[in-house]
Amino acid sequence: MGDLFSNLALGFHVVFQFSPWSPSWLGGVTIPIPINILLCLVGALVGTLVGVLPGIGTIATVAMLLPITFGLPPVGALIMLAGIYYGAQYGGSTTSILVNIPGEATSVVTTLDGFQMAKQGRAGPALAIAAIGSFFAGCVATVLIAVLGAPLTKLALAFGPAEYFSLMVLGLIFAVVLAKGSVLKAIAMIVLGLLLSMVGSDIETGASRMAFNIPELADGLGFATVAMGVFGFAEIIRNLDAGAEMDRDLVQQKITGLMPTKKDLIDSAPAIVRGTILGSILGILPGGGAVIASFAAYTFEKKIAKDPSRFGRGAIEGVASPESANNAAAQTSFIPLLTLGIPPNAVMALMVGAMTIHGIVPGPQVMQKQPELVWGMIASMWVGNLMLIIINLPLVGIWVRLLRVPYRLMFPSIVIFCAIGIYSINNAPVDVILAGGFGLVGYWLIKHDFEPAPLLLGMVLGPLMEENLRRALLISRGDWSVFVTRPLSAVLMATAAFLLVLALLPSLRKKRDEVFVESEN
Amino acid sequence: MADTLGHSPGQSRPVSNIGNVSAAIGILVLAIAPQLFELIWSIGALTVRSTARAPLQVLAGHGAALLYGAPVQMFASIAAPGKAAIASDTLLAMIYSYPLFAVAALTLLVKLKAPQDYFGGIVLMALALFALWASSDLQGMRGFSFGAGTAPRMFGVLMLGLGAGIAVVGLLTDGPALATYHWRGPLFVSLSILSFAITIRPLGLVLSAFATFMISALGTHETRWKETIIVGIALTAFCSFLFPYGLGLPMQLWPRFLIQ
Repeated sequence: MGDLFSNLALGFHVVFQFSPWSPSWLGGVTIPIPINILLCLVGALVGTLVGVLPGIGTIATVAMLLPITFGLPPVGALIMLAGIYYGAQYGGSTTSILVNIPGEATSVVTTLDGFQMAKQGRAGPALAIAAIGSFFAGCVATVLIAVLGAPLTKLALAFGPAEYFSLMVLGLIFAVVLAKGSVLKAIAMIVLGLLLSMVGSDIETGASRMAFNIPELADGLGFATVAMGVFGFAEIIRNLDAGAEMDRDLVQQKITGLMPTKKDLIDSAPAIVRGTILGSILGILPGGGAVIASFAAYTFEKKIAKDPSRFGRGAIEGVASPESANNAAAQTSFIPLLTLGIPPNAVMALMVGAMTIHGIVPGPQVMQKQPELVWGMIASMWVGNLMLIIINLPLVGIWVRLLRVPYRLMFPSIVIFCAIGIYSINNAPVDVILAGGFGLVGYWLIKHDFEPAPLLLGMVLGPLMEENLRRALLISRGDWSVFVTRPLSAVLMATAAFLLVLALLPSLRKKRDEVFVESEN
Repeated sequence: MADTLGHSPGQSRPVSNIGNVSAAIGILVLAIAPQLFELIWSIGALTVRSTARAPLQVLAGHGAALLYGAPVQMFASIAAPGKAAIASDTLLAMIYSYPLFAVAALTLLVKLKAPQDYFGGIVLMALALFALWASSDLQGMRGFSFGAGTAPRMFGVLMLGLGAGIAVVGLLTDGPALATYHWRGPLFVSLSILSFAITIRPLGLVLSAFATFMISALGTHETRWKETIIVGIALTAFCSFLFPYGLGLPMQLWPRFLIQ
């Protein structure tokens, strides 16, 4: 317990650090600025903006901002990127409630009851409850990361290559089970990602693999390049299909009375707690993340309600629970990344990219060798959540006005930002062309109902998986049974197999589809 | 595949035979896509000095491999397995093109219940076969330790199986027809990205970014030019400040010939 407090103290110390800043135009005057706090604020604001604007996803934004973090110190860079992720969960709810447009996939379910509440003139309480729920969830998740971090790291140190490989298999299977649509297609996407990760030179022998003597491919496909193509460009092209004129000009309700009534608070408090618990669990699980958490929380809430017919007609629990869940999940999904070095979803995969850019190899050793990095980030999450709740409610009006920016002006701007962003990673025009190519690939994938997120996850985990597989087999002298004879690895493999069978069972599949269909309507 | 596009998603009536013919032709084109790509590439490479093969060489090499090299090689390897190294063109025809020819022929005979899944699966199979060919020159297992080529081959085979599985699902269960593809958005967004990549080095950020903005704005017919130009200028100015100055990234702002 004492460890926990000293660790958190270290984290807050890092967050509130002042660093000297002496720009040349001030003529040698040095001003101390709280750089990490500022970056946290920037991240949270950008995240909220992204969450508000439909058509720009969190993944694309984090990919877009990766190159920008080059010049920053590693702690600051990670604090900012983390801020974007949980900030987006806040922002998404705002537009869901006010104009019935989910800015993010994570707040799709919030539209069901949130917009109904707004129609009844209770937009203020809905927004407030969403913010309070998110803040509560954020606090719990921060403590959870701090508590679970150290023990999980110890566990991770007992892991050999075989266990690591099995764990990654389990993570990928989780991603498949929790993905939408066909199980077969999701697995195929993961394998495609694994194959893409193998382009470039082999880690052990240095042999050039599938690079066709093209020098730009010798280093492998850049992960940000693929992410930006498949998520950024493909998303734009897809949106253009539907026509740029999206139905945005919905009536804006006058927001009166932000404060929820006492009854609202009593009704929503248990829902917030349930949502937080569910979200935290789904966030830790590999393959989970905020989207599935909000869906699950809403479904669960409706199931246990005494009067389920209230849902869809402005039940405050239908706002409180999913909003708490998505924020909790967004934060707890940092746990596998920070302790085991394994990204549980696509956004975390990009965080790995950010860490590698700064020369940090994610894994259990990070927590021991660079505690200020890990704890600084954890502490910044709590600070960020506090800032979000303070700044966001007054800014609601501005966010809603931003929605009026038409897509026909927004999409060329996103194209430019993406293009410059990719170019600046290596100063290589070829990267930009590659990203454009992957944009078309992503468009094709969407048209054939393949989900791109598992592809990205496969691509990140590919090198790690191959390395551990090779090592495990080398140690066991080519004996494949090592994955089932080592107890820890066997348990992981058995869980993975069990999950896969479960996902393939027709009855469960039907139920899973129902969850998604319900949340889409 | 043009005439299969007409069906709205959700319709599941069996596709007519004419649809199957054009589908088979589509798969045939896919089957020789790498060869066609190299041919076009080699024609393009004529304009710049490069180490690529001449177009006629490419045509002769792949033509020979497709027409008689691969079958001859197959008989040879059946007669005396594990003999001398096979030329890369022949191997491509054997590993990639011939199996896809077979799939194309098969397409003529079956009823496509879910074209979206069927074609999705087949393209994945094509990717897997291509990856198998691309990693065929790599070393395999050395004793019990992995060679450079082991993992790519392993996952290539796995993806081949998965692709086939998806295609079979598309044959057995009813599913959505092919989705409609639009040309305007993809074309102009791709063109604008391409133009950025080509112009950023010689012309600098300012001109390049503005051109990219205008070209991508062509991607929808709803663009109003006056406001687009104004926003384009404003955004270019913003980017020209943010990236080189605000973030300190090394980027040239103006065309090279103006600076020198």
